[in-house]
Amino acid sequence: MTREEITSEILNIFSRDFEIEQPGLDSDLRETYEFDSVDAIELLLGIERFLKSELTHDEKKMAMGIRTINQIIDYVEGLVRVRGLETHA
Amino acid sequence: MKGRRVVITACSAITPIGHTRAEIVDSLRRGVSGVKPLREDHLLSKFIHSQVFGTVDYPIAFDFRRTFRKTMGPVAYYACQVAKEALDQAGLPQEFVTSGRLGVAFGSTHGSPTVQREIYKTFFGASQTEFRAIGAVDYLKSMVHTTAVNITKMFGITGRVISSSTACTTSSQSIGYGYESVKFGMQDAMLCGGADEYDTTTVAVFDNLLACSTAFNDRPGCTPRPFDRQRDGLVVGEGAGAVLLEEYEHARKRGAAILGEVVGFACNNNGGDLILPNRAGISETLRIGLDDAALTADEVDFISAHATGTKMGDVIEAQAIHAVYGDGPLVTGLKGYMGHTMGSCGAIETILTLYMMEQGFVAPTLNLENIDERCSMLRHVQEITPATIGIGAIQNFAFGGVNTNLLIKRFV
Repeated sequence: MTREEITSEILNIFSRDFEIEQPGLDSDLRETYEFDSVDAIELLLGIERFLKSELTHDEKKMAMGIRTINQIIDYVEGLVRVRGLETHA
Repeated sequence: MKGRRVVITACSAITPIGHTRAEIVDSLRRGVSGVKPLREDHLLSKFIHSQVFGTVDYPIAFDFRRTFRKTMGPVAYYACQVAKEALDQAGLPQEFVTSGRLGVAFGSTHGSPTVQREIYKTFFGASQTEFRAIGAVDYLKSMVHTTAVNITKMFGITGRVISSSTACTTSSQSIGYGYESVKFGMQDAMLCGGADEYDTTTVAVFDNLLACSTAFNDRPGCTPRPFDRQRDGLVVGEGAGAVLLEEYEHARKRGAAILGEVVGFACNNNGGDLILPNRAGISETLRIGLDDAALTADEVDFISAHATGTKMGDVIEAQAIHAVYGDGPLVTGLKGYMGHTMGSCGAIETILTLYMMEQGFVAPTLNLENIDERCSMLRHVQEITPATIGIGAIQNFAFGGVNTNLLIKRFV
């Protein structure tokens, strides 16, 4: 799974589930798009479905400080690495 | 206890017989029924004997931003829509809406059963491949106070929240407790009401208790039949109603249109059986309401009876009305038009009473053709009757033995 694939899926989740189109990759999601704690929990569920893998409680807690799309992509990349799902283009 | 005067400065309803005031009044005048065949739900509907439902079958253009929609189940959509329409109609200044002096009293029978059903499917479904977490918003959509708090969120309302959930008295309690909040100075205005969504679970519950109508499945518009000899039970329905209650001087100073005045409220409990209607308990709530309003029985012109169309309930209610009022007031059972809209019925029946008060007529009890002799001692309305409703009483009684009586005065 490449960073491009992760980016594409995260943007897809934001469009489909949160009606946020083409968000700025470094924009503060809360301030710019009213993306709140409820949305963050929903996003984690979307990431679990994408990875076909349940996140641990600690992994979920780690996500609570995330503010931007780029940070989400970094976070998912970390999850992919831990699960040995990465592929190299 | 004397307190401040409380007036109604806006109202809105979503009902099986229409949404706008013009649609609802037209349905009342033409005797239109909102009872339709029960929809297939792939769960319960084929096991239920009663195959009718008071249905909202017209489109509603909900126009809510995602940030509000995301925590709403169907019941909250209804609630927020009527709340929005009532607030738009009232024209309260935005700084008042968010001042803490406006509160919300809003409820439903049990939150959103549609969303609850999805939660149960997640846990008890046969599939092993789905992730079994409950969505973060599922609880917010389905919880009992979902209507009230989605309203506070959408409009930034920071006053008190009351969220009664007492089945058929849910929204009459909302209005009653909202009235008391304003009357005694805790708030200057309260947005009050109730909602319930399309739900076959409720039908199944009443069906099991043999309380639902089953003899008119092939003629849905002919049931329920309050006070009629052929009545055979209630019909579950859906809908929503909201009224804005405001302290009189506050309303007057801002030049608000005043639709009516709440002059009394009573709520009591039968203190015993949770299902059977109780003549003593009901009679007492009617008397307490009159006392609270400082009215005598002969001053009440119109009674909106709870009248669900059950065999026993209508007789007990007729006896209680007669014991307190004699045969003075005109009596209509508005559920004849739309069935029992559960958590919203008290608010909807209050709003329909306000509409008739304004238009100078009383609608007949739909499907009341031959009055049951045990109910015949009242002044039943069987045709459109021109009338000035000076005082109207809205009666509601719920499972659990909860009774309410709201008294509304025409504002002149």
